[in-house]
Amino acid sequence: MQAELEMNQEQEIQFKQMKKKKSKKRLDSWLLLLPALSIFIFFFLLPLVFLFITSFKTFDAATGIGHDWTLQNYAKFITDQFYLGVLWRTVKIALITTLAAVIISYPVAYQITKIRGRMKNYLTLLVLSPLLISMVIRCYGWVILLSNNGVVNNALMKMGLIDKPLTLLYTEFSVVVGMVHVLFPYMVLSIMGSLERIDPSVIRASQNLGAGPIRTFFSVVLPLTLPGIFAGSVMVFSLAVSSFVTPAILGGPQVKVMSFLTYEQVSTILNWPFGSAIGFLLIFIATITIIIYSKLLTRSEKGVAIQ
Amino acid sequence: MRKVLPKACLNFFCILIYIFLAAPIVVVLLSSLTTTEYIVFPPKGITLRWYAELINHPEFMQSFTLSITVALGTSIISTIIGTMASIAVVRYEFRGKTAVTQLIGSPLLIPSVVFGVALLQFFSWIGLAASPVALVVGHFILTIPFVMRLVVASLVGFDRSIELAAKNLGAGSLRVFFQITLPVIKSGVIAGAIFAFITSFDDLTVALFIVSTDVVTLPVRIYTYMQYQYDPIITSVSSIMILLTVILMVVIERILGVGKVFSSKN
Repeated sequence: MQAELEMNQEQEIQFKQMKKKKSKKRLDSWLLLLPALSIFIFFFLLPLVFLFITSFKTFDAATGIGHDWTLQNYAKFITDQFYLGVLWRTVKIALITTLAAVIISYPVAYQITKIRGRMKNYLTLLVLSPLLISMVIRCYGWVILLSNNGVVNNALMKMGLIDKPLTLLYTEFSVVVGMVHVLFPYMVLSIMGSLERIDPSVIRASQNLGAGPIRTFFSVVLPLTLPGIFAGSVMVFSLAVSSFVTPAILGGPQVKVMSFLTYEQVSTILNWPFGSAIGFLLIFIATITIIIYSKLLTRSEKGVAIQ
Repeated sequence: MRKVLPKACLNFFCILIYIFLAAPIVVVLLSSLTTTEYIVFPPKGITLRWYAELINHPEFMQSFTLSITVALGTSIISTIIGTMASIAVVRYEFRGKTAVTQLIGSPLLIPSVVFGVALLQFFSWIGLAASPVALVVGHFILTIPFVMRLVVASLVGFDRSIELAAKNLGAGSLRVFFQITLPVIKSGVIAGAIFAFITSFDDLTVALFIVSTDVVTLPVRIYTYMQYQYDPIITSVSSIMILLTVILMVVIERILGVGKVFSSKN
């Protein structure tokens, strides 16, 4: 009886100690998170919530933001052909960019994963270097290349292919070229990841069964890397839809996209409520695509697993 | 033959893509050497005149110093706070953990233009004027998802028994962190710091909303300059930045190895 009581007491003490330790641990974790969380809530969440509220306010020419509530900002966008055109152009440019990025990234990713040793490091560095060099500078390089008396036009005229310079700069074409150049590394990294995960014995099996390199590629390698292509596409598409620098430098006011429209409304026209509404529509589109894509991604991963 | 032809095609295609990748950078570098008053490629004659001309444009130097300061500040703060948060997320179980990780990862989903506008409105309401501090705050939000991803990746495979051993031998928690944990997750932390530095140094979108006439970062300076002028000064500024990046990359390669920096990214 005595012994049992002691046991119980001991257990209780142990339990209390555990509880104390647990609550100390919880305190530790919140202390570690505190700086990050407070900056986030104060300088990220709050500003966005306030901007969201602004998007439901009326426009006041004197102060920018009026006092009355309205849905007019969103209604104006959805009913106006011009703004819907901008939305469609933004999505179109992002889609073409994503497609072009897949087409040009795949061979490069494939080549890099085949090579071994030092050369592989150098090529990886070459492919990733655009990430490290300022986006403004890279876009400026494209301005020099694509302008009316630029390198591309001069070369084409010397070859006698065209008589007068083509308008390349400040068109949807120049925006797509710039964006593919900027976003290319993300796609290569994603495809390289899935190529490197392929079990080499699968490829050997296909070759042993008599398939040539092309057939092996299309019926074994390509299907196995679909998840990587999907993942890369989500990233490139969502970055392309919301990117600002490239369309601002290579498209300008001639090729308006959603992000440029937001910037213009806020900083030139000073219509804050309408600018914020456009911004939140942009967030909405980016989020929707990511949700759709990730649904597709889980389905395609299941497909690969079944195969 | 069956094997050689596809390979040759592949290599040819890849070379074209490498040319595409290098073209804008090479063009900027070479046209900075032109003797003409306007930008032309290929450059006419070779001179370093446009680099000397920079002396007459002290505003570029000012912006450069500001950008470096802001990028260093962002990198240091983001890495310290990000590492702390990563440890909390990886090592502790607590309520609302998924919500916290999703919140900290969410800047990747929010277009920087929208964040820039939101920050501008908020800063003007609370009366925080354009300053290096305001820029660091904005860039902190942009960079922390990357830092956390890299540090979390290096923490996940961590063998905690060595920490326990150190503790059993009488080391305090801080000492355990600095002498055991930090050296092991070093590559993730350094990669995070480098990414934060580069992202901050390169940022135009958010800075465009925060800057004022005296506080102008280098990307904003270049962007506004090229809206009005088309002289080779921009190419010489850009070339200096490219060369600095190359030097930085060589240093990183020597210290860490390229593979390491980028492999931990996935």
